[in-house]
Amino acid sequence: MTLSGMNVSRRKFLAASGGVVAAGLVAANLSTLKAVASGHSPAPTGEIGEKHIASSCEMCVNKCGFFAHVVDGRLKKLNPNPKFFKSRAMLCARGNAGAEEPYNPERLTKPLLRVGERGEGKWKEISYEEAFKLVAEKLKEFKVKNENRSSVAFASSEGFQEEMFQYLVQSYGSTNTVRHPTLCLSSVIQGWSSVYGVYPDADLKNSKFVIMFGANRAEAIVTPDSIDFVKYKPEGAKLIYLDPRFTNTATKADKWYPVKPGTDLAFVLGVINVIITEKLYDAAFVEQFCDGFADLETMIAPHTPEWAEKECEIPAVEIRWVAREFAKAAPAAVAYPGRRTSWYVNDVYFRRACAILTAICGCWDAPGGICPKASVPLKNLDPLFPYFEMTDDRIDVASSVKNRLPQDKRSDNMPTDSVAYLGEKDGSWLRFRDAIIAQDPYPVEAMIVYKQNFIEAVPNRAKTMEMLKKIKFMAVIDIQMTEVAYFADLVIPESTYLERWDSVHNLASIWPIATFRQPVVEPVFGTKSMFEIAGGIINEMLKLPELWDDADEMEVEDFKMDVAEDIFGQPLEEYIKHQLADHPGAYEQMMKEGVFYLTDEASYGKTRNPEFRFKTRTGKIELANVKYADKGLSPLPIYAAPRQPEPGKYRMILGRHGFNTHTGTQNNEYLWEIQKENVIWINTAEARKIGVISGDYVTVKSSVGEQTVKVFSTEKIRKDCVFFAHGFGRLSPQLSLVYKKGASQAAILEDYLEPISGNAAMHETFVSIAKA
Amino acid sequence: MSQKKYGIVLDAKKCLNCKACTVACKFENGVEVGDEQYRIWVAEKELKGTFPNLRLDFEPSQCQHCENTPCASVCPTSATYKTDEGVVLIDYKKCIICKACMTACPYDARFVSEVHNAIEKCTFCYHRLPEGREPACVETCPTKVRVFGDLNDPNSKAAKLLAKHDTYQLKPEKNTRPRLFYIIK
Repeated sequence: MTLSGMNVSRRKFLAASGGVVAAGLVAANLSTLKAVASGHSPAPTGEIGEKHIASSCEMCVNKCGFFAHVVDGRLKKLNPNPKFFKSRAMLCARGNAGAEEPYNPERLTKPLLRVGERGEGKWKEISYEEAFKLVAEKLKEFKVKNENRSSVAFASSEGFQEEMFQYLVQSYGSTNTVRHPTLCLSSVIQGWSSVYGVYPDADLKNSKFVIMFGANRAEAIVTPDSIDFVKYKPEGAKLIYLDPRFTNTATKADKWYPVKPGTDLAFVLGVINVIITEKLYDAAFVEQFCDGFADLETMIAPHTPEWAEKECEIPAVEIRWVAREFAKAAPAAVAYPGRRTSWYVNDVYFRRACAILTAICGCWDAPGGICPKASVPLKNLDPLFPYFEMTDDRIDVASSVKNRLPQDKRSDNMPTDSVAYLGEKDGSWLRFRDAIIAQDPYPVEAMIVYKQNFIEAVPNRAKTMEMLKKIKFMAVIDIQMTEVAYFADLVIPESTYLERWDSVHNLASIWPIATFRQPVVEPVFGTKSMFEIAGGIINEMLKLPELWDDADEMEVEDFKMDVAEDIFGQPLEEYIKHQLADHPGAYEQMMKEGVFYLTDEASYGKTRNPEFRFKTRTGKIELANVKYADKGLSPLPIYAAPRQPEPGKYRMILGRHGFNTHTGTQNNEYLWEIQKENVIWINTAEARKIGVISGDYVTVKSSVGEQTVKVFSTEKIRKDCVFFAHGFGRLSPQLSLVYKKGASQAAILEDYLEPISGNAAMHETFVSIAKA
Repeated sequence: MSQKKYGIVLDAKKCLNCKACTVACKFENGVEVGDEQYRIWVAEKELKGTFPNLRLDFEPSQCQHCENTPCASVCPTSATYKTDEGVVLIDYKKCIICKACMTACPYDARFVSEVHNAIEKCTFCYHRLPEGREPACVETCPTKVRVFGDLNDPNSKAAKLLAKHDTYQLKPEKNTRPRLFYIIK
């Protein structure tokens, strides 16, 4: 994949871009594509003329604003909204490719009832009404049979309509909801919250010294950070980047340290040690706002830069330099929190250390530092749902199944059969799945799923398939035939984000903004939104008396008024009007401009007030966490070296990129064109040892599975680890562009848990690699 | 004769290689899906150095809208022409797909379009300009690598950037006098 200069054809450049695109078979793939595309034209709407409609994106979690350019009833293009300052008026590749979603030739168009064996792909088309009836009947069946509403579990993915799905859950009364955070960011939320009581943002627009740990902002796009760290980087500012891989962010960094995987905490402790030993910290800030400094001083003493160098393989002289520069730039210095932090068993301690470094230098709630998120005031409905008697505690809490922890010192004193801080609605996916398989302490026999493709998202795919054997009925709501949909019993198509109303949501940040969605085209295939689907199911539920006999009658009557009629019985526009009712003109502004905000200026310093009480036990910034001690955890971040792969094995590491979101977008032609299959990054010297070159295929094997994947032999990765992107090696034939193309992460990742927040620990798997 | 002289000044150091520009271009201009069909692209240059001392640059590019146009010179039907503002365009009706221009172009900027049944390439989104809108690639870019404008207007952002920075052009030895200027830092 080595290229040289502009004398090489640009087409060859394209084929090798990012090291992720595979050349070859192009002609064959294209003919498939054209065959698919020929059946592609939607029915003409009869509409004539051009429109530019404001709405927001759902191709990833950022929700950037756009104006949809609609010509004669068909969406032509999505253009960035210049007033949407959170995304700095841009749309990425996915945001642009979103214009294909309503017209995707393989999207789900009609509710499908399974008629063959599970996973056989044999379906019968039914009506939405029949689908709603069936779901309501099944909800009744498992409630009556088990006398436990928690025997039906509800899995959902982040998004504006997830709120409507949660209303459906509450209308039924199961405690078993499972969401995405424990496959993603629950450890960073827990780590920072344990110090400040909140999960804050980084002000990269004004920061003079930024340390990023694996948060690959050039590729793992988070707005506004991905723009700010390059476009608005202040003159003379420095970006320090730690990552075992030379990513596109590394190409923009002033210094790249290829840190030894799993040892970032040692680096941060080394930095804190220098700052305390050399008295570079903000003593006044520590005195006024922080608790536990004396304990920190004692704990940090042995963690010298020389000690840290041995662990993280970053020279002590560099650690000293970083510490001094960080302190010099404070408070405009950032130890970047990050987002997908499902890395290691001790991830919470690492995030705590970053938060502590921030605190002792006073880089809190000040320009260029770490700041609490602000939000736009909205009038949200807070409907009451009946209290149902036939429920049980969450299965991941009630169960005594053992946590799978890596066998080394990091796991000492970690919870072994529980999660220390489990999100009430989020759950913890790995414990949740183990408890269902063990049926401990009760059976979960049905699942209702909203857009969470957990077969590909949760480590150890074989185990997920094992769990599905316990699930007698599974209904899945999505826009496409994901793996979870493909193995379901009932599939209910949802309208895409371009065809529906979504209520107003706050995008809380340093620059808070509120946005919503309105249909830019009518549903191309007559599909319904989650709002309409939830409303339809609730209506059918109300016809079944067995579903309401364990609740107070009055509460049920109130529910009929407040939820069934006032929310689901009205058009969603009414809900939106209500949300914005406190701000005259806001609804009109939202409809026209797609945004609502009170100011586009950041405001700093509200919490730098001696009267301010942080949401912690002491009301202070807790360098040493008081509650952790009660739970048998270490109040301060403690370090132990991660176990290492035996010779001939490699650590599998993960990372995001800007061409696809999780497993949700690979079947979009415009994104598939950029990334057709994933490739495994192997250090050049290691590839030589294995006897492979770029373009060869290898089998990658862990204790839970095996995948075949194409090699990318490169200097851009350390010798002790390998990497491939998420979202390939797919099992659903109705994602034909990527069906059986490349390798699945879920198939080979082992299911280790980070038991403080309940996050999956996805960088703990060792693999062996051999030429295929 | 128009006094306008359209061009693009690029700061490739800001490029994340995120491909937002190439996807935006495809939708804006109805360019079909396919590896040969690109009006604009981002080249990943050769990785320099060995682990851990590495350097990697990106180079977004497209038709250079040359002042000396080898593509127009070789076109037997005068399908390729230049507007008053110096934008190089193709009259699809006149194009006979002889591909002489594809061979003549030093930048490999042209391709055969099945949509138009003609050769096509970047037009600086010429259809957007009368409405005062920027080319789609310029508008969508997260870090605003490309700055488009009238180089004859000293107050335009593009002209100001050009005056302030040293720039280079691609393949100067071909004497094509491109209208794309890459900032040297």
